[in-house]
Amino acid sequence: MNATVSASVFSAVWAFCLRLWRALRSIALACFTTLPYLFRWGDRRREATEQYPDPISSRTAEDLPPRTRGLLFNDIDRCTGCRECERICPTRAIHINTEPGANNNKLWVSTFDIDFARCIFCGLCTEVCEPASLTHTRQFEGAAYDRRDLVAGFGRGQVTEEQRAKWAALRRMTDLEEGGGE
Amino acid sequence: MSGSMNWVERLLQDGGVPPVAAEWLSIPLALLIAIFGVILPSAYWYSFWRRKLGADLQARVGPNRAGAFGVLQPLSDFLKLLQKMPQVASRTGARWRRLHTLALFSSVATLPLGSAWLLAGSELGVLLPFWSAFVLTMGALLVGLERGSVPGWMGGIRLVAQAVTAAFPALVCVLAAGARSSGFSWKQFALDQSFSPLSWGALGLFPFQLIAFGVFLISGLALLNAEPFDTALGERDLQGGVASLLSGEDLAWFEFGRFYVFLHWILMAVVLFLGGWQLPAALHEWATSEDRYILLAAMELAVVLGKGFLVMLGVTWVARSLPRLRVDHVTDLSWRVLSPLALVALIGSAAFHLVQGAVHP
Repeated sequence: MNATVSASVFSAVWAFCLRLWRALRSIALACFTTLPYLFRWGDRRREATEQYPDPISSRTAEDLPPRTRGLLFNDIDRCTGCRECERICPTRAIHINTEPGANNNKLWVSTFDIDFARCIFCGLCTEVCEPASLTHTRQFEGAAYDRRDLVAGFGRGQVTEEQRAKWAALRRMTDLEEGGGE
Repeated sequence: MSGSMNWVERLLQDGGVPPVAAEWLSIPLALLIAIFGVILPSAYWYSFWRRKLGADLQARVGPNRAGAFGVLQPLSDFLKLLQKMPQVASRTGARWRRLHTLALFSSVATLPLGSAWLLAGSELGVLLPFWSAFVLTMGALLVGLERGSVPGWMGGIRLVAQAVTAAFPALVCVLAAGARSSGFSWKQFALDQSFSPLSWGALGLFPFQLIAFGVFLISGLALLNAEPFDTALGERDLQGGVASLLSGEDLAWFEFGRFYVFLHWILMAVVLFLGGWQLPAALHEWATSEDRYILLAAMELAVVLGKGFLVMLGVTWVARSLPRLRVDHVTDLSWRVLSPLALVALIGSAAFHLVQGAVHP
């Protein structure tokens, strides 16, 4: 029994030391992998990155891969105001306000704001957009000096009360015509 | 008070200031010199070399725009931070965050910069870096709680968990060093060693003190949430983690506080294990006999800071060559690897010391 206990303690300690040695060796290997880059030994002379904006090989938006997720753009003419993008956005970066328009089948999207300070460019909003009005562009330079300039607005704007009343009247007429037709 | 004059007090007395006035004036003056003449330039230097070294190791371009070779990059970063809009208009939050950073600097008087710099040397001096580390951790926890979101709260709690688990092996290593030096004051640790690396604490009572040094350094990085153990502070959780609240001036204050505690920890490691501020014996005797106390203070400062910077750059080398560790991996490391090794170092050092005492009474 004592011999068994001693053997198991010894093997536990030995296993611990072995794991420790392997970890230290792994760390040392990692450190000595990066050291040649510090001293530019061998063929490790050039940096893997470029200075931005690099005048020699500057990349434009057209050079980017086809599925690049750049700044968002919403084609408001195609947008139906369904709010699926607002619902699915994980950071609540999209704010939409809609109201009934002249047509019963289409909403007036008065506000469609995207806060790029919150947006993480995950692309979920473009995936759920059925009319495909919300898309990623290839623009990536979105820095601003003021936080308010990071909010992009694509809405059609607020309507006046008069316009709202006209539209309500138009919708009532349409409902009557459709009801009379049936 | 340490009981002996620091170099500022001597300088004032030599300048004709009455002894009592010199004693009282020397403390605030020495603190100001330590903060503006040592800590701030160190922060600048370390910020530049950390980015430069990190970029070179990772085959990146690195800072090269602000000044020749990017030397002015830390200044450019600081000016940029001052101009950035704050994320949350929280005046109350900003005020206590300033207070938090100032609280960190309450341990400046015991910063081990040299024998003539210690304003308050005592047996408790080695415990004050732990105080600063816990103040830093609690401050970061409160920043996370202020975030008002689950990622912020969880991030803050993770941070504290990591710090608490790392504090135990660090404290045990300090005990191991104390077992070697038979005392816990900075002067005792320094006098126990000399300029020659062969007499440094890390090589004494071999291999136990070397183990203690390694464990102390690694557990310190985990305690301070420094790289490569800075996942809790470095990551940006969805909708804001712990540090995502901080930007602009707030971030500058917070990062300066983090650097100060990191510097204090590294200097502690240098004094405990790497010979401290000890000069070559001949040089020390010459400076003492010629009464060149300012030169002595400057040389000791250069030695301790030089060693400290080398350790810092070594930490940067390892941190930039490895990915960040996950917080649960760090707590695992602290409990299952660092703590047992620290205990081995303590028991081994104490036993070794006893045997040495018995053999050579």
